[in-house]
Amino acid sequence: MKKFHDIELLSSYLDGQLNTAESKRLETRLASDPELASALNDIRATRSILRKLPARKAPRNFTLTRKMVGLRPPLPRTYPIFRFSTAFATILLMLTFAANSIVPRIAFGGAAAPAPAMGYGGGPGMGGGGGGNDTAMQAAATEAPAATEAPLEAPSAEMIPAPTTDGTLREGGPAADSMQAPKEANPESALQNQPPIQNEAVIPITWQIILLAVILLSGLAMWLIQKSASRRWQ
Amino acid sequence: MDETSLIQSAQKGDLDAFNTLILHYQDTVFNTAVRILGDEDLAQDAAQEAFISAFRSISTFRGGSFKAWLMRTVTNACYDELRRQKRRPTTPLEPETSDGEEMDSPKWLADPNMTPAEKSEADELEHAIQHCLDALPTDFRTVVVLADIQGMDYTEVAVASKVPLGTIKSRLARARLRLRECLRGFEELLPASFRLEGESTL
Repeated sequence: MKKFHDIELLSSYLDGQLNTAESKRLETRLASDPELASALNDIRATRSILRKLPARKAPRNFTLTRKMVGLRPPLPRTYPIFRFSTAFATILLMLTFAANSIVPRIAFGGAAAPAPAMGYGGGPGMGGGGGGNDTAMQAAATEAPAATEAPLEAPSAEMIPAPTTDGTLREGGPAADSMQAPKEANPESALQNQPPIQNEAVIPITWQIILLAVILLSGLAMWLIQKSASRRWQ
Repeated sequence: MDETSLIQSAQKGDLDAFNTLILHYQDTVFNTAVRILGDEDLAQDAAQEAFISAFRSISTFRGGSFKAWLMRTVTNACYDELRRQKRRPTTPLEPETSDGEEMDSPKWLADPNMTPAEKSEADELEHAIQHCLDALPTDFRTVVVLADIQGMDYTEVAVASKVPLGTIKSRLARARLRLRECLRGFEELLPASFRLEGESTL
């Protein structure tokens, strides 16, 4: 049994992979070593058998189609313009929707916040504060007596400096009762009776329709260009 | 149009030029795949995958032997196929008779230009060689297929199998040694001119 190094040398020698010096050294050994020469013949025979193996022919053509490699037809220069306009109009349309839904909420939040403050701080008969929505105040005042069984005229004590007096006012007299009632009723009723905040679109719907039309037309143009290009390519 | 021009055109995306290259190399590619995989259907899939992959990456070809570069994609496709087979083993390589026994001379190895006797012998010899090739580790098989069956030189084999030249020499020697041992079991099938010596010195 030859060493593997010798087998590797013989294999390389057969393929002409040894340099001149290595080849000569091996040839000298081969001349004097029949076992090594026999091993060389074995390797040569094995290689010959493999080389004589019939070559298999391809059973079919392996040529590629454009679809197989994912090639797309060349598109005209106008195509990117339509693509850009579609994308740009889509973004703008989304922004208009966002603006129309967010801006009124912000406006509503800003207007609603002072309402409870008015109810608590500026009710009728409170003397100070005031301002704001008179109708809301009045409505609250008219509802209050019903709840407290106070006469409607009770708020006539509007001259009483309620906020500046001590708790005696609170304890006695219908005026004190009627003052408490608006405290509870006012926030709700003030909100209910506030004039409805106009939910007007910041961006007119006309613009949205125009943008939508741009999107649809550009998309249609892109589709037609693609179809035409692929038809011409085939 | 010469090969270099076709490659340059293919690198610019000319599919027709690449298809011309395919027609030139498809037998070599398929033969390599079928010897590595040992199955014609799998070899067809691997060859097709190799050509698709080659077209997509032809821009990375920087000169040298196009055949070696193409063989690299084929061996990669074959390795992928073998990995898939390992994960999902399917039908055996050898066709079976109705009794479930392996056929000695399967029709799928036949060459229509031979007499029945020659065909039978050739079938059996080819079957025996393929059997011995299949018994080799994949790396050894790839090297011996590229060097001895496809007749590529060591440098091309090194490029195709992405291993250093020294490793190619070593693997080829080991593969030949193992094949020699395996083929000894089929000596009666070997042609007289290539009959191996009865008492091997290896």
